[in-house]
Amino acid sequence: MTAPALRARAISKRFGPVNALSEVDFVLDTGEVHALLGVNGAGKSTFIKILSGVYRKDEGSIEVGGEAIDCRDPKEAIRHGIATVQQHPELVADFTGYENIFLGREAARSGLFSRIERTDLSRRANALLKRFPVDIDLSKTVAEMSAVEREIVAILQALAGDHIRVLILDEPTSTLTEVEKTVLFRLLDTLRQGGISVLYITHRLEEVMEIADRLSVFRGGRMVASMPVADVKAKNLSLAELMLGEALDHVFPPRAEPDAIGETVLAVRGLTAAGAFSNIGFELRRGEILGIFGLVGSGADELAKALFGAIPVEGGSVVLKGHTIAPRSPREALKAGIFLVPGDRRVEGLALTETSIFNITLANLKRASGAAGILKRAGNRTASGEFATRLSLSPPNLSMPVSGFSGGNQQKIVVAKGLFAEADVYIFVEPTIGVDIGARAKLYGLMRELSGTAGVIVLSSDCDEAHGIADRTFALYKGRQIAPPDGLQTRNQLLMAGIMGELHRD
Amino acid sequence: MTRTFTLPAGSGRFLAFLLLVVLVATAFTLAEPRFLSTQNMSAVTRHMAANGLAALGLTFVVIVRKFDLSFAGTACFAAMTIGYLIALGQPLWIAIPAGIVVGAAIGAFNGVVISYFRFPDIVTTIATGSIAAGLAFVYSNGRTIFQNFMSSGILDLNDARVFGYSLSFVFLLGLYAVAWFFMHRTRYGASFYATGENPVAAYYSGVPTRLYTMLAFVACGVTCVFAVLLILAESGTADTNEGANLLMPAYAGVFLGTALLGRTSVLATLAGTFLITMLLDGFSLLGIPFYYSDGVVSAILLAGVVFFDARLREFLSDIGSFLQPASVKKEKRS
Repeated sequence: MTAPALRARAISKRFGPVNALSEVDFVLDTGEVHALLGVNGAGKSTFIKILSGVYRKDEGSIEVGGEAIDCRDPKEAIRHGIATVQQHPELVADFTGYENIFLGREAARSGLFSRIERTDLSRRANALLKRFPVDIDLSKTVAEMSAVEREIVAILQALAGDHIRVLILDEPTSTLTEVEKTVLFRLLDTLRQGGISVLYITHRLEEVMEIADRLSVFRGGRMVASMPVADVKAKNLSLAELMLGEALDHVFPPRAEPDAIGETVLAVRGLTAAGAFSNIGFELRRGEILGIFGLVGSGADELAKALFGAIPVEGGSVVLKGHTIAPRSPREALKAGIFLVPGDRRVEGLALTETSIFNITLANLKRASGAAGILKRAGNRTASGEFATRLSLSPPNLSMPVSGFSGGNQQKIVVAKGLFAEADVYIFVEPTIGVDIGARAKLYGLMRELSGTAGVIVLSSDCDEAHGIADRTFALYKGRQIAPPDGLQTRNQLLMAGIMGELHRD
Repeated sequence: MTRTFTLPAGSGRFLAFLLLVVLVATAFTLAEPRFLSTQNMSAVTRHMAANGLAALGLTFVVIVRKFDLSFAGTACFAAMTIGYLIALGQPLWIAIPAGIVVGAAIGAFNGVVISYFRFPDIVTTIATGSIAAGLAFVYSNGRTIFQNFMSSGILDLNDARVFGYSLSFVFLLGLYAVAWFFMHRTRYGASFYATGENPVAAYYSGVPTRLYTMLAFVACGVTCVFAVLLILAESGTADTNEGANLLMPAYAGVFLGTALLGRTSVLATLAGTFLITMLLDGFSLLGIPFYYSDGVVSAILLAGVVFFDARLREFLSDIGSFLQPASVKKEKRS
């Protein structure tokens, strides 16, 4: 019995009040492709960051090939044979593939003034290519390469140290097309045969079935399942259920009753923004939630920002409660009655070192202050406290900097800010990224509640979310709206529309 | 049951500040008993007024996370403008507002090009500050202006007393009280903080972030004129380098205060300015030449900045670990 390529025992990691990982046991066998699954915030990223030396574990042990290691930084992990390719690999755009692969390792013994031998570089790169037969032209600069070629250069760069035994890939397929994926999977297959173990993070279940040998599922910082992929097929297990921890139906509130749907709140016609999306049209009625499914690059984020006045539009019209509006800034959009819960709450949503009260009142300082702009401190505290109770903010501390809250609770603060702003239309972008399941259910419930008095739009790159929360849906694919006039009915229709850009009838 | 006392947030830091003040005062008093004399204390408060006024406007700029290096030059130009108008026989109610207009105009120019046209703040304000310092020479070809100063009444600003305190010190405290209320109790102050804290989130919350950035520079341009006005009143002449010594104490006051109280605020600047002024005054009382004391205070400023800036701290600790003997082969990465 040989030792596995990598074994982790009882790994725990805390960030302030948050338990990011609790006692994770994990085994990676030699020469396997192992998929790591879990919803956002489940602990996958923290786990691989510990393996690759970016974070240090609080407790537990890690062995590579039977030898205990404790990496303080990524260089040390690489020395122990663990290489990582980030989700967005950092390559030098103006350098060729060869140069990138051997960046920083140009000569075995490099001095400050040693010349870089280009012919030597290409000879060594080609030797690497012989080991991993991938048909790409490495004399092109990275700027000229396609997404999959860049991914392969990043993988070859990681493998350029000959001793690498474990390769960690963080969502390598998120920007790849279907055809490009097969190229990547061929490379992974070659690595597997060469005895290299691949740990592969993904959100896409169908890929797991296609390429992985085994899979592990993270949920709430714990490893909840680890099994051969064949078992999933044999036992017909629901990976989504494993990831979410309960039947999906319970996460989402019931859909709107037909007679609860009222008048049109927002009507969008032919909305176009160059390079992002074109000719988008929909109506949003009181009492219903509109779900828009779009992957990265679909234009979903831009559509939300255009409605919010944060990016300019070239054409089309937006009618809010009977009045045509054309907000040129978020300030004007807020005045008109539109609130955006942005996709990146830390960058776009929160002043992190400020308190909950500060953040909750920020989008409607007029309401938060009285004569001469003097803040109503007691009133704001009471109002914030009410939202905190309503959203089960945890801890219910209104004076603590919001950076101390977990992702889900930070999102609750952004939503509370929206409630304080008293808008007519709420636009949620990726509302549950990094939000745990309990907070998710709470947020979904609140969206449903909001839809009773305001228009609610949810844009998500998670098809189950867009379909599960909404009464009507459409997909965005490369800036195009993919939807029949009556909306998309089933989850699979929505999925195919968003991923392939095609309409399918079940 | 044990009862626990909870002090208001930040009170620990405030106590630490008081302790530091007592320590510094004790040290100076032991070295030079005159330190606690009424005469010296009144000098401390007078110097504190000029430093504190310049630091107040800078506080606004630092809160929106920008730098203004122009206000010393602006103060020189404003001082010569005021001096020139006094020499022409204009009354103070014309000369002083004219100086304030100069400060506001340069501040507005800085603010507009930095916030609306996205000029880099440091380079822009070095340039405008140098231009202003140059313009200070235009009125008199660089000669000191003193005509009409005695009769103009400007010296009264230095000598006047309110409730036993010098007018300048009372003016300082009054302006700080107004600024504190504005910054920490009104929606406008919240908008300044939001702009500095996270301009993107502030913009998405409907805060006109560019306007607030611009206004911070105007505030800085105006308060440095207040500061130089007190210097004019004390010296009784207008010199082309009248405001040149405002830069370092103002930055030291803001950043030392930030380091002491944990975040940039009106009170933090007041605390920082008080400590800096006390140090500068103590050194001069001991007869330590300014080129040493300035060095010491600047070193304290640097220490304060490092303490304040988490990223810088991280960078320094990285250098620290880099300098440790490493067995790992150095790797160059993009």
